[in-house]
Amino acid sequence: MPGRELEFRKQIFRGVVVLLFMLLAGDLFWMTVPRSRYYRGLALENRQVRFRVRAPRGRVLDRRGVLLADNTFIADITLSAREYAAGRCDSTVARLCSWFGLEEDAVQARLDAQQERGAGRLTLVANADLAGVVLVEERRRELPGVRVETRPRRRYVQGPLFAHLIGYVGQIRDEEIGSGNGDLDYRSGDMIGRQGIERAFEAPLRGRCGIKLEEVNAAGHRVGRSPVWLEEVVPGRDIRLTLDLQLQQALAEAIGPRVACGVAISCRTGEILAAYSNPTFDPNLLTVPISQADWQLLIDDPRKPFFNRVLQATYPPASLYKPIVSLAALGAGVVGRDTELEPCLGGWQLGNRYFRCWKSSGHGRIDHLDALVHSCDTYFYQLALKLDIDTLAKAARAFGLGAVRSGIFSEEVPGLVPDRKWYDEHFGPGRWSRGVVLNNAIGQGELLVTPLQMAIVAGRLAVGEGLPTPTFVAGQQRTDPLPPLGFSALDLAWERKALREVVVRGTGQNAALPDVPVAGKTGTAQNPHGEDHAWFMCFAPADAPEVALAVIVENAGHGGSEAAPVARQWLEAYFHGSARESTLEPLKPTGEVFP
Amino acid sequence: MRMREFLVPDGDRWILLCWLLLCLSSLAVLWSVTEPIRGPYLDLDPGVVKSVFYRQVVWVLVGLMALLVAARIRLRTLENLAVPTMLALVALLTLLLVLGPSISGSRRWFLLGPIRMQPAEFAKITFILAVARILGGNQDQGPRPMLVIGTLGLMLVHVFLVMREPDLGTSLVFLAVWIGMVFWYGVPGILLLGAGSAALSAVIMFISESVLSRQPWPWGLYLLLLIGILYLVPIGIPARIFMLLINVASGLGIPFLWEKLRGYQQERILTFFDPMRDQFGSGYQAIQSKVAIGSGGVFGTHYLQGTQKGLAFLPERHTDFIFSVVGEELGLVGCVFLLMLFLVIIMRGITIAGAARRSFWRYAAVGIVAYFTFHVFVNVSITTGLLPVTGLPLPGLSYGGSNMVTSSFLLGVLLNISSRTFDT
Repeated sequence: MPGRELEFRKQIFRGVVVLLFMLLAGDLFWMTVPRSRYYRGLALENRQVRFRVRAPRGRVLDRRGVLLADNTFIADITLSAREYAAGRCDSTVARLCSWFGLEEDAVQARLDAQQERGAGRLTLVANADLAGVVLVEERRRELPGVRVETRPRRRYVQGPLFAHLIGYVGQIRDEEIGSGNGDLDYRSGDMIGRQGIERAFEAPLRGRCGIKLEEVNAAGHRVGRSPVWLEEVVPGRDIRLTLDLQLQQALAEAIGPRVACGVAISCRTGEILAAYSNPTFDPNLLTVPISQADWQLLIDDPRKPFFNRVLQATYPPASLYKPIVSLAALGAGVVGRDTELEPCLGGWQLGNRYFRCWKSSGHGRIDHLDALVHSCDTYFYQLALKLDIDTLAKAARAFGLGAVRSGIFSEEVPGLVPDRKWYDEHFGPGRWSRGVVLNNAIGQGELLVTPLQMAIVAGRLAVGEGLPTPTFVAGQQRTDPLPPLGFSALDLAWERKALREVVVRGTGQNAALPDVPVAGKTGTAQNPHGEDHAWFMCFAPADAPEVALAVIVENAGHGGSEAAPVARQWLEAYFHGSARESTLEPLKPTGEVFP
Repeated sequence: MRMREFLVPDGDRWILLCWLLLCLSSLAVLWSVTEPIRGPYLDLDPGVVKSVFYRQVVWVLVGLMALLVAARIRLRTLENLAVPTMLALVALLTLLLVLGPSISGSRRWFLLGPIRMQPAEFAKITFILAVARILGGNQDQGPRPMLVIGTLGLMLVHVFLVMREPDLGTSLVFLAVWIGMVFWYGVPGILLLGAGSAALSAVIMFISESVLSRQPWPWGLYLLLLIGILYLVPIGIPARIFMLLINVASGLGIPFLWEKLRGYQQERILTFFDPMRDQFGSGYQAIQSKVAIGSGGVFGTHYLQGTQKGLAFLPERHTDFIFSVVGEELGLVGCVFLLMLFLVIIMRGITIAGAARRSFWRYAAVGIVAYFTFHVFVNVSITTGLLPVTGLPLPGLSYGGSNMVTSSFLLGVLLNISSRTFDT
């Protein structure tokens, strides 16, 4: 080869090499000098992961500070979505499936579904037991992308006892996220209050999630010692109920297996002391994913265990309404406190309809007081004819009927107090007869009330305007006070005397206590679908009322024989138990309670 | 022979010095890669076991032994052994495809006890020497096309066998080495121009077809441009027709070749053009490597302090992507230093090739230079994202015995040649 040609090729060879190396050097320079900031950001992003930390949910306490609901933990075995997407988890998933005895195809499908929803971590095994957690933790090194994540689980210490009132929490549904939850930031997998206090006080109970930055390695394991908090966790606030565990237990015991409910209210403070509805359910079953079969069983139960009868059930008030009619009549001046009307011969003929008294043999000649004591329907038919429907409705509303009364529970229903306008709208003007007034006068017909409302009626009969607006939670501010009663103190005192007489010698003798004077009223609500519902409302002591109570037993028969004994049993527990003392003074809102 | 004479080989001292520095750098980087990260973190398992470092110490020593042997051996012996050993290695590569154990889907290694032996690495030595032997056989009689075509066949056999393992990166080494040696041998410029433009045509067609999803207009534009240039450039009509034909053929041939590639190979090449296409798969390595180098900046995060390496974001950080660790921990300065060491070796190699007295020596030296140039350029380009990800070690730095021994042996041969060129 000629030397000149060789030299030429050598130069070309050198030129190519220098060119290639300059290309490399130029590329390296470009990456490390002008673009370095960008890559530094990516490196930081690589190893710093934002973790969202859920705030511990506030506890629920009873009025004496006894724990009713708090949090424990459940452990989930989760998989990094990133690792899973990269297909680096197939053998890991297979191993975990064999350890936990899971169907691999089903797990795979579930993971894919979660992946599609854009979850950051995929739940492989929810609510793993301790043995499973230990198994995974011991082999963490061999399971890239796998992490045991704990999340709080709500624990309802008293189980079914407060199920309706406290409610329960459940996992938020995807369609609920980001809609109408105000500024509360929910993510898939978060818990949200579903009923009762849990729903009503969702915001303060929930607190606010924190966000922290933590160092992770490529497998997604946390390696940082101390995370950087971008947003501090604000723990949920505790809620203190006005209810008392002992009194609630006493009410549940008094009710026993009956389909029934009762509400007790302090006459001095307006605080609800007990509110129990039976049948009930165990809310602890609902805080972890419940099987479809179990869920179906609960909602198919004809006795409706989820139904909070205290707030959601409406019944005709029946004879419990008579004191209101009586006061309306006294207030209107159509009768006096000792007026006798036409004798009761077992009913009253109005036009072509015969309105029966519950006592078919009749009460004979009877005055106003005895008509209440013996709950004579005929007397009240005659009273009603002297009154019009709007006067009755006004008196009922003055006592607080026909409107929601709890102030916090969105599931509460208002019941119905019909008036002229209502009948005109529903039956047509002039298409309804005076007979409806007669039905109303004995608490039947279209009238509907909730047990809570009747407990308030009992409380207002006991102390009149002196009954504070009812509260369920310590420090609960009421913006909707009870309406003014507008009846004379003399009439109210006379009414109280009549209710005392009911228990002494009338229909409510089953509620009498040997040592405490009880005043009350029985009721038997006609039920077109079956056996009558037994009502009883009362307050005690009759001369200086401390507590008022309403009880209804569904499909049981007479109030005097079925409901009054329940009330007596509870009153006994109240007056002889240790809870009474704490109910006489209102709960002070302390730091832990609702603002 | 006295011990001292044996331990300090004759020949180019710069090459020896640079190679020793590279081997020491390798040990330093591997020590860092196998160290748990400290500082604000918990002591953390580095993911690459410490024994990798100790094994590499052994491999460096074995490599230096190979270097000393190659520097001392009679070059005539190498020349005579070249073709038989090459044939033996071809037989071994064939055997490997049939009998070799399948390790994660490929048959690249023979297992010798605890050691994995990679025949393709040693085939690089025998291939270079055999081609040098064949091309050097007819000294001073001018280039003979039949010899070039013969070595082309030899090269294609190697490329085919290694590609079947499959190991795309290593198979391309044979191509690169062959091109370098044949160029030195004196292939007409028109052929090289033709090959170069054909490659360009293929790449443009590929981009038109696969990346831009079947829009062949860029390739049409390229062809029009080529026709215009051919019209203007004063070359013979046959040369013009040759250029046009080879461009059209390679452009139209690429879709067929594409179909022949394996799925993962197609995926890697596609990912090269669009790394985000498969962020967590084959694009992951490319992205993480760039992040490591880029975040290192000019001076790096300092030795032992790299987070991407330490937290295991960087895959293959002790083998093919060791350069990224250098980039992260030692920065641009460390990278340029290493590149300078390689550049010195390559430049000295070219000088030796130009000065060597016998043609076998010349072609052997050129082959060795081409080997190092290709390995360094392609490996570093992969770490910086200039080229698609394909497994190729960085000589002297990457962990692994076969390549360490091969590279050291080849440098020994280069030293041997230089000692006989300049000393006497």
